[in-house]
Amino acid sequence: MQTSMHGRGGRYLAAGLLALGLLLLTVPLQESIHQRRPHLFDPARKTKRVSAISTGPIPAVIAALGGFRTVAADLLWMKVEREWHGGNWWALPSLLDAVTQLDPHFLVAWQVYGWHLAYNLHAESETLVDKRYYLNGGVRVLERAVEANPDNWEMIFELGWTLFDRAHDMHRAAEYFYRADQSPEAKSYTTRLYYRCFERTLDIPRLVEALEYAKNRHTDLNSSDDVQHQAIVADNYRFWITDNHIEDRDKHREIIARENTARAQRSVDLYLYPDNPYWDVCPICGLPSPKGSEFCSAYGHPMKQSSGSRRPPGQSRPPAEAASL
Amino acid sequence: MTPLLAFVTPKLAALIGAAIVVVVLAMTAGLWVPGAEHTGGSIWRIAKITVAEARRRRVTQAVVVLVLLILLSMTFFSYLNPREQARMLISGGLSAITVFGILLAIFVAAFLIPQELESRTVYAILSKPVRRFEFVLGKYLGALIVLAAILTVMTAVLVAVLLIEDWFVPDRADSVFDPNIGNVVFAAVMSYFAVALLAAYIVLISTVSSTAMTVITSFIIWVIGSLQSRIRDLALEATSVFQKLFFTVFYLVMPPLENFDFRHEVSNFMPLSYYSGVYAAGKGIVYILVVLLFASIFFNDRQV
Repeated sequence: MQTSMHGRGGRYLAAGLLALGLLLLTVPLQESIHQRRPHLFDPARKTKRVSAISTGPIPAVIAALGGFRTVAADLLWMKVEREWHGGNWWALPSLLDAVTQLDPHFLVAWQVYGWHLAYNLHAESETLVDKRYYLNGGVRVLERAVEANPDNWEMIFELGWTLFDRAHDMHRAAEYFYRADQSPEAKSYTTRLYYRCFERTLDIPRLVEALEYAKNRHTDLNSSDDVQHQAIVADNYRFWITDNHIEDRDKHREIIARENTARAQRSVDLYLYPDNPYWDVCPICGLPSPKGSEFCSAYGHPMKQSSGSRRPPGQSRPPAEAASL
Repeated sequence: MTPLLAFVTPKLAALIGAAIVVVVLAMTAGLWVPGAEHTGGSIWRIAKITVAEARRRRVTQAVVVLVLLILLSMTFFSYLNPREQARMLISGGLSAITVFGILLAIFVAAFLIPQELESRTVYAILSKPVRRFEFVLGKYLGALIVLAAILTVMTAVLVAVLLIEDWFVPDRADSVFDPNIGNVVFAAVMSYFAVALLAAYIVLISTVSSTAMTVITSFIIWVIGSLQSRIRDLALEATSVFQKLFFTVFYLVMPPLENFDFRHEVSNFMPLSYYSGVYAAGKGIVYILVVLLFASIFFNDRQV
């Protein structure tokens, strides 16, 4: 055998076998790399990216850019900056879409994209349809951002904040604040915003639960942020539990009026506070009237909803209507 | 797991590989053991000559100056917020290092052997007690030294620019300039491995083809090597056995350049898996050995 290896064919055979052996030796190495860099090699990453690649540069372009996607995203980002300062707001969504698709881990781009749709373009839109389009668009963008960066608490917080402050979808916002709060890097305001969601909807059982949760979070007395957090939570706890504002009719009225005014300003569906023991909410103006009133005390609107009228978001359809779908 | 190797576990594949390597090395001991004690000296002498030649080449110096200018010009993005400035500097700087590193690898390595053949200086070298594989390895080692020096200079300039910017750019409550130096250096080192691997492939091609053909093929290999994960996807998704076989062989034969690319993680301040870098380096070294083995054999069989 050794002699036959001296021939040309033998050399190639030996080299081929040696190469095969060496390549097989690298299999566990490549396997470990796949496990440690799932965003690059996990076969499921493509499924995860499906929702992120909806419009903008086609995947083939992204593939062709290979390792230079980050640079391409940076160049487009510079164009975003120019358009922004030039006041060309309506050109930004397509550019930002391209940037975020080229680099799904570019957090600032996601944040700016979601904020621009849900705040700027929503405010600039003149019709209700447009306003809803941009607000929903902003939320969808941030959902994609969370999908692309599931371990980043800032991104999850950003989505929670947009749902809380702009879409007024308090129960979903609470979910995201809670999820963001599980990260060890999360700031204490995330914990407090979690119970603020239930304050706004007067979801008393969950508010009490969330306040208890907040009391047990950020308890390091050597950290000034934690000390401040504990002081704020103690103050809120005292207000709701000790001073029993849970049963304060006037406080409920104030919260309902403030929340629905904010919703009306953002063209978001009014919240009807279905379980509130003291107030019924006018389905037309969103202001509270004493329980059982026939007409709204503010504007005299009829308090009974006719069929097909607005209902609080997330409230189930009447059974007959649901059955027909 | 590589699709065609799905029927064996990685550990089993490694064991089979180790067994094959040991058996082949034992059987071919008669080929490589005699004269092995003089090999190191010959390789080193040829490497030193290669470094001296590269230093004289104007193209190399021009590219280095160009990269330095690019890195320095990247400090002009002061209108961005601190975090974005850092991101842009890091991604642009690392990309400049990678692109120009690979361009230099192509232009340094592609000329190593063909030029010696065209200018006929190879006769003078091979007439001395230098074996052909020593010539190939010496040339490759010389190229590695040149590329290491250039990449070190470029990385040092990038690090200096980042540190200077960190000093000058005022941080804001919501945006901090993070130079991310440790990870930047790590990514630059990994880029060097990518360059070294590509240089080995270039040397292999240059042993069987002309300079022009080597340069063109090198660019193609660079592009294909950068699409490693997508070739793997194609192999995984292939519907016919032939397609699966084709893409798997293609995936195994092409340089795994994506393994070395950490620019995306570093410029987005994502947590890095240093172990994956170590594994990538290990795999890269094995690939380099295999490629140089074939380069030596091809050059040995070439009519000079």
